[in-house]
Amino acid sequence: MDKLESIFAIVTLLTYLVAGCVYIWFLITRNRRAANLATMLLILGLFTHTLSLGMRWADSGHPPLTDSYESLSLFSWGIVLFYLITERIYPIRAAGAIVVPTAFVIESIALVLNNGPEPLRPILNSGWLWIHVTIAMLSYGFFALAFGAGFFYVVQEYLLKKRYQNVVIAFALMFAAVGLAVGIWMGFEWANPSEAVNAAGQYYNQYASGDVYKILGAGGIGFAGLLFLGLVAGKGASRPSFANRLPSLDVLDEVSYRAIAFGFPMVTIAIVTGAIWADKAWGSWWSWDPKETWSLITWLFYGAYLHTRLTWGWRGRHSAIIAIIGLMVVLFTYIGVNYLLPGLHSYVR
Amino acid sequence: MAHAANNKPSIERKASDVMFAAIVVFSLFALDVYLSVFYYRDNGVHDLSWLHWLLAVLDIGVVLAVLWASGKRVFHTLISMKLAVTLLFVVAIVAVIGTILPQGDDVLTSDITKSPLYHFYHSLGLFNVYQSRWFLALLFTLVLSLILCISNRLPATLKHTFRQMIDVKDIFVANQPQAAAFPGAGEAGMEAARQVIRDHHYRLYQRKTGSVLAERGRFAPLASLLFHVSFIFIAAGALLSSQLGYDESLAVPDNQMVAVPNTSLQVINYQFKMEYEGKALLKNGSIVPVKQLADGKTVRREDGGDISQITQVFDLQPSSFISDIQVFKNNRPLKRKSIREGDPLEIDGANFYQKSYDYDQTTGAPVSILEVNHKPFKTLVYVGGTLMMLSIMVALYLPRRRIWFKTGEDGQLLVGGRTNRAKLGFERDFERIVKELRLKLGQEAR
Repeated sequence: MDKLESIFAIVTLLTYLVAGCVYIWFLITRNRRAANLATMLLILGLFTHTLSLGMRWADSGHPPLTDSYESLSLFSWGIVLFYLITERIYPIRAAGAIVVPTAFVIESIALVLNNGPEPLRPILNSGWLWIHVTIAMLSYGFFALAFGAGFFYVVQEYLLKKRYQNVVIAFALMFAAVGLAVGIWMGFEWANPSEAVNAAGQYYNQYASGDVYKILGAGGIGFAGLLFLGLVAGKGASRPSFANRLPSLDVLDEVSYRAIAFGFPMVTIAIVTGAIWADKAWGSWWSWDPKETWSLITWLFYGAYLHTRLTWGWRGRHSAIIAIIGLMVVLFTYIGVNYLLPGLHSYVR
Repeated sequence: MAHAANNKPSIERKASDVMFAAIVVFSLFALDVYLSVFYYRDNGVHDLSWLHWLLAVLDIGVVLAVLWASGKRVFHTLISMKLAVTLLFVVAIVAVIGTILPQGDDVLTSDITKSPLYHFYHSLGLFNVYQSRWFLALLFTLVLSLILCISNRLPATLKHTFRQMIDVKDIFVANQPQAAAFPGAGEAGMEAARQVIRDHHYRLYQRKTGSVLAERGRFAPLASLLFHVSFIFIAAGALLSSQLGYDESLAVPDNQMVAVPNTSLQVINYQFKMEYEGKALLKNGSIVPVKQLADGKTVRREDGGDISQITQVFDLQPSSFISDIQVFKNNRPLKRKSIREGDPLEIDGANFYQKSYDYDQTTGAPVSILEVNHKPFKTLVYVGGTLMMLSIMVALYLPRRRIWFKTGEDGQLLVGGRTNRAKLGFERDFERIVKELRLKLGQEAR
């Protein structure tokens, strides 16, 4: 990794950390100047982030989309960018307290997984691929936004109904789930499997027998650690005044919906361009490879979400819960498939 | 299908009708069973012959016929969007099975073959989920429900898109979800409205007299319909291509002529080569990614740097496969080309793709594996895919927003608007327009 590039990456990480703290401070104190400071910091972070990604691009000679570090870093870049845009349109600055720390965590994971630039297999160097991956990442960013808005919808509803116990449970569950998922993910990385090729010519990861303890252990640590954090955050949020600091139910519902309505065409484009590219490369537009199938599942799922609003008139909590489950499907498609299911896409890791 | 609860009472039937229904159900079922026996005796479970597709369609037919005979409003259920949405969820959930269980040839190397129930699972199609009868039947039902929903909505959508409601009554404007009124604004109000709305990127429509319609995203509802149509294009194109074309995976050893099954084409592979990628240690101790070209000697640095600095190359892995092939028709030589992944040879509608490689059982030499296919309805799939991308963008990024302006009987300016999605965003837009209008009218009155 280039020295200047890593300096920018670390500056980005620190800026996101500080910005996240200021956003949380804003959430607690409602200090307007804190909010402005947080936004400014975030813009600065986005700037250095852009620089580091740009240098990575110049260094490797291909857009930063091919390995875990690059795609994750771009993912957190997308989250920050879209959060800043949304912040301009809707009064949801309080959401920064959760969005920015999320971007920070993703960028940290990216830096942990960084192995320096890798050569690119020629098959991957195609205009279709760049469109395919970029748009897929952008759509994930929108679905993450929809998830955040959906989560706060549920919290806000409990706050307004004064069911504070449920607020704590919601926070604890969400944090613990994130901790478990990230822990297991890091466990898979820690286990460091060897790459093997099966009879059908597909790449898959081969794990040693002790690896399961590493994976479960890391998952357990992540789960326990973030469960505790979630309980603390939930306890802190269980106050009547917190309801005033969150956007209104209507705004949260619409942000969640519009994020999905923005992400859905992108997933469509990602799937279609992926199929076109596969057809040009291998002569088959659809091979039911796990990644393909899971992206189809994601697509059907969000397609169903959009329809439930029309046919059953679902709004509010129902929609919020679907948006929350939706991100789990997205994350499995994005990360889980690479580790757990063999297929054509595994070289992307 | 029982989930689509029918509140309306079942259809009353005469005895003769019941008899007729029973005969239809029985004959469809008998045909399904007869063909199934025939099919499973003569073909494998994997086989994608036309019979396979016919059976999937027949299976739906039997289910629908039974529902119909038992007095359910089958058409009513099929045409409702509720069925389509439920099917979307069901297909999504069922598709998961195929990503968990080993599929196709993978199953032969997995432990599941040792299970005593292996053959039972196999006959259920669990190891070929996406080609199984029941999955195809599910997809067909989805397409059928889609076609019916589309035809149901098509006339109304066309009417609302191409016959805009420009001349409307006062009460229509006042009753819109978003509405405002400016008493005593008169004709000046209409002029102000026209100016304000232009800055908001709406298109204005007006006939000689009466109300003005300001509209944005006029084609969103039509695009939403076209999006669903594109789904049918893709399904039809893929189905027809798989039934009327061919798709073969061929192992082609160096310098041997291999016939493409069911065609008059043959192919020779003159030489199979591989490119490698790996890492190199430089004199200054740093490690850079490198590529070794197909000649097996030339090394190139990915960063374009000086190769004389390289002291050692390691971690080499095959990255690209190249076959120098020539295609023959009835043993007459045609085109020759060096193909690699992503760069196929195309001739007479047939495509020769570099797929992967395998090792020869006896000599141990790498053997190139080619994918040869012909998809006669490829264009239909590509048109469907393009339509799908374009229409969904129009449908979701350019939602339809309409605002009507009308001077009422008592000289007041009536403003009313509606949208087809994202209500809050439109509300903000509407409020801003009303605010600007109020400012403008206030200033002009002064």
